[in-house]
Amino acid sequence: MTKQKKKPKIYDYFKETEDPYAGGVAWCPGCTLELTARFVPKVLGNDIILVGCPCCAAPVLYGQNLGTWHRLSYFSSLMTGVASSATGISRYYRKIGRDATVVCFTGDGCSADVGFQPLSGAAERNERIIYITYDNEGYMNTGYQRSSTTPMGASTSTTPAGTISHGKPTPAKNVPLLMAMQGAAYAATATLSHLDDFARKLTKARQKIKEGFVYIHVFSPCVMGWRIEADMSIQVCRMAVRTNYFPLWEAENGRFRLTHEVSSPKPVQEYLRLIRKFSHLKETEINEFQQMVDRKYAVIKRLCVTE
Amino acid sequence: MVHNDKFMFPYEGAWSDGREKLLCLDTGSWRVNRPVLDKEKCNYCSLCALYCPPQCLKDMGDHYAPDLDYCKGCGICARECPRGAISMMPEGEFADDSAKR
Amino acid sequence: MIAQKGKKMVITGNATAAYGAMLCRPDVATSYPITPMSEVAEQLSAFRANGLMETEMVEVEGENSAMNVVAGASMAGGRTFTATSSWGLSFMYDAVQHAAGFRAPIVMVIANREAPGILAVSGGQQDIISVRDAGWIQIIVEEGQEILDTIIMAYRLAEDYDIQLPVMVNYDGFYLSYMATAIEIPEQTDVDHFLATLKEQPKRQVLEPGVALGCGTHGIEKGFVELRYRQCVAMERAAAKLDEIDREFGELFGRSYGGQIEEYRIDDADIVVVASGGVAGTAKVAVDTKREQGIKVGLIKLRLFRPFPRQRLVEALNGKKAIGVIDRSVGFGWDCGPMAMELRALTPEIGIVPILSYIDGLANLDITIPHIERAIDEVQSAALGKSYQEVTWIPLEE
Ligand SMILES: Cc1ncc(C[n+]2csc(CCOP(=O)(O)OP(=O)(O)O)c2C)c(N)n1
Ligand code: SF4
Ligand code: SF4
Ligand code: SF4
Repeated sequence: MTKQKKKPKIYDYFKETEDPYAGGVAWCPGCTLELTARFVPKVLGNDIILVGCPCCAAPVLYGQNLGTWHRLSYFSSLMTGVASSATGISRYYRKIGRDATVVCFTGDGCSADVGFQPLSGAAERNERIIYITYDNEGYMNTGYQRSSTTPMGASTSTTPAGTISHGKPTPAKNVPLLMAMQGAAYAATATLSHLDDFARKLTKARQKIKEGFVYIHVFSPCVMGWRIEADMSIQVCRMAVRTNYFPLWEAENGRFRLTHEVSSPKPVQEYLRLIRKFSHLKETEINEFQQMVDRKYAVIKRLCVTE
Repeated sequence: MVHNDKFMFPYEGAWSDGREKLLCLDTGSWRVNRPVLDKEKCNYCSLCALYCPPQCLKDMGDHYAPDLDYCKGCGICARECPRGAISMMPEGEFADDSAKR
Repeated sequence: MIAQKGKKMVITGNATAAYGAMLCRPDVATSYPITPMSEVAEQLSAFRANGLMETEMVEVEGENSAMNVVAGASMAGGRTFTATSSWGLSFMYDAVQHAAGFRAPIVMVIANREAPGILAVSGGQQDIISVRDAGWIQIIVEEGQEILDTIIMAYRLAEDYDIQLPVMVNYDGFYLSYMATAIEIPEQTDVDHFLATLKEQPKRQVLEPGVALGCGTHGIEKGFVELRYRQCVAMERAAAKLDEIDREFGELFGRSYGGQIEEYRIDDADIVVVASGGVAGTAKVAVDTKREQGIKVGLIKLRLFRPFPRQRLVEALNGKKAIGVIDRSVGFGWDCGPMAMELRALTPEIGIVPILSYIDGLANLDITIPHIERAIDEVQSAALGKSYQEVTWIPLEE
């Protein structure tokens, strides 16, 4: 058996930067949030200031008394104040002429909902901050309730499928698109099955933050809330990309580009069947879901310039 | 009467300090299934290590070995290995394995 | 050292607040316009636009962000300033508490206004009353020059190593915020000198990129209790510290305000009126008139509301026969004004004396000299042992 000599380039990131986290932290087995949280500093470096708030990341990002689970500089804001706290930190460093990378790291419940106003404000003011959302499509920390990025049809603890209800009645808010439309210096989507793509986007974020606001939206399935098998979370990410449910794109100063175009997308049903929060959906609802995916994809596709 | 020398925080305000040691959980004890590698099948492509959420697969030079102190047994490495080199085995089978951890 | 004479300008209370802030050279300032303090935001932006200050001005999209921005900047190590009023203060409430827990030495001015619920674009103190337990030091001032001087003193208090707490400097919205008076603007070098003492103190803990420090850790069990305890102890220390700073300010600038409380004709007084903010000025006139009529009345102007100036009040009120308290706000669930309620809590130290609560000046209604004279008469009568009404809503009884 000949061993492969050359590693994928992405592997370099893992070698260079020391993992700032403790080995054992309180994220569920198979949680993609854990991979996201460990991956981000590997690419951005350990000299960042992380700003977060209550969410599933908090039990690890927050300290406990004097103790802490990681070696990153961390500021714990409120769900309502992440982008604005980061603004304050970044403005102070600008004032004293210090080069510091301020990175917001929150769930979708913060960025799409209760923290949306400051996020939108920071984007509009073109603050020099990187905002990373890990999107698990709901409020997981409080018990898997719906958020405004929960997709149509998903059964959550506040939109449970029942005899009358078929899950969440409205489609998800497209936060990365909104950020791009607000004129972010750089806005992008990413996911964990495509780590090379994610790494390239984080590297770009580091450059673009010199020009202005950077937003990265990371599709991060939640094992518990979505009711998927722990070993399937990366497969779910991959299938989300292959079905165009979660297209990978970037927008640099308003210039859109698909970073991973899928040549013959699979039907979204193949994605839905991996996830039990969709298990109640009937054929007509799956068709509707497919139409919604197609519509959303068409919008991105039309915005993108082909290379 | 509160004595200041009883304070645990060295400065005013709620600050955590990870400059010396970090908190750490025994996440290895959560494991129900354990990843077991068939070295013959492995071609050292490193995909398992990339995807492992706790990043606990250690580079052994020609293959990867899970750090059983932290491996949560999620099975992602086994699922993602393109060569099917990792299988998930019930923890119980290693019960009397002295080299368990 | 004695400060140079500053140049005099006739400016509004809001502009005075902006000058006060500018002189303290904040690193980061924010504010979101709201009547009656919008002018503070405009003035600061104008200073910035004309290169008069180097502050990073963040034109936020709401008050909640205004507070979060200054909280972040403060914990990164900056000197920060913001301003708001009423609904704005309500909208930032979570961040107001958060900043105090962080021990962020922010200075915020508030042009006091009625709180939401019943629409009122008018003055009152309900806004600060509703945040009295947020962990902020609260100082209430009476007039224009006091706004400017108190902002400078507020930085000395907030950033003091032994305190490390945010400070609210309150002045009457509408009256004081819009009223133009002659203000002496101190020389920058003198303000710099006054604030320089802070540099000789140990450095407070701030964020450091790449250093494993987390600001705002979970307080677990005893850890939580310790953090709260230390917040409270620092708050207690602030009272005497304000007296000290006020004295020092007086020595340098020739103006001082009594620190925690201002005592007016108290020494030989039998009865006392307690008031805060601009109404204290009116009350002094009423006290003088009543003195001429032979009533031995004095006035206490409550400057510090949090921490409550307990010790100074006990000393000043000891042996007095009755007290009247004028509140420009209400205390839900305690049939009296909030300041009256807090004064009642001094009973074990000052003895059981009639404490008469007056609710007046809500929604910009004037607290007139006759209103205060009436109160003085009633307090005097209570002091003589006559029966009295505990709470009087003056506008409803006129
Ligand atoms: C202002 C406010 N409202 C409610 C909460 C309670 N809360 C804590 S975590 C959370 C959900 C967070 O959801 P999300 O940001 O999507 O992160 P996730 O838990 O999914 O990781 C909520 C609602 C809060 N912390 N702050
Ligand atoms: S609840 Fe979901 S998002 Fe939260 S740690 Fe568990 S798997 Fe991850
Ligand atoms: S993914 Fe499979 S083949 Fe690749 S290194 Fe891991 S075990 Fe070996
Ligand atoms: S089972 Fe999961 S935690 Fe354990 S090594 Fe494999 S991927 Fe990592």
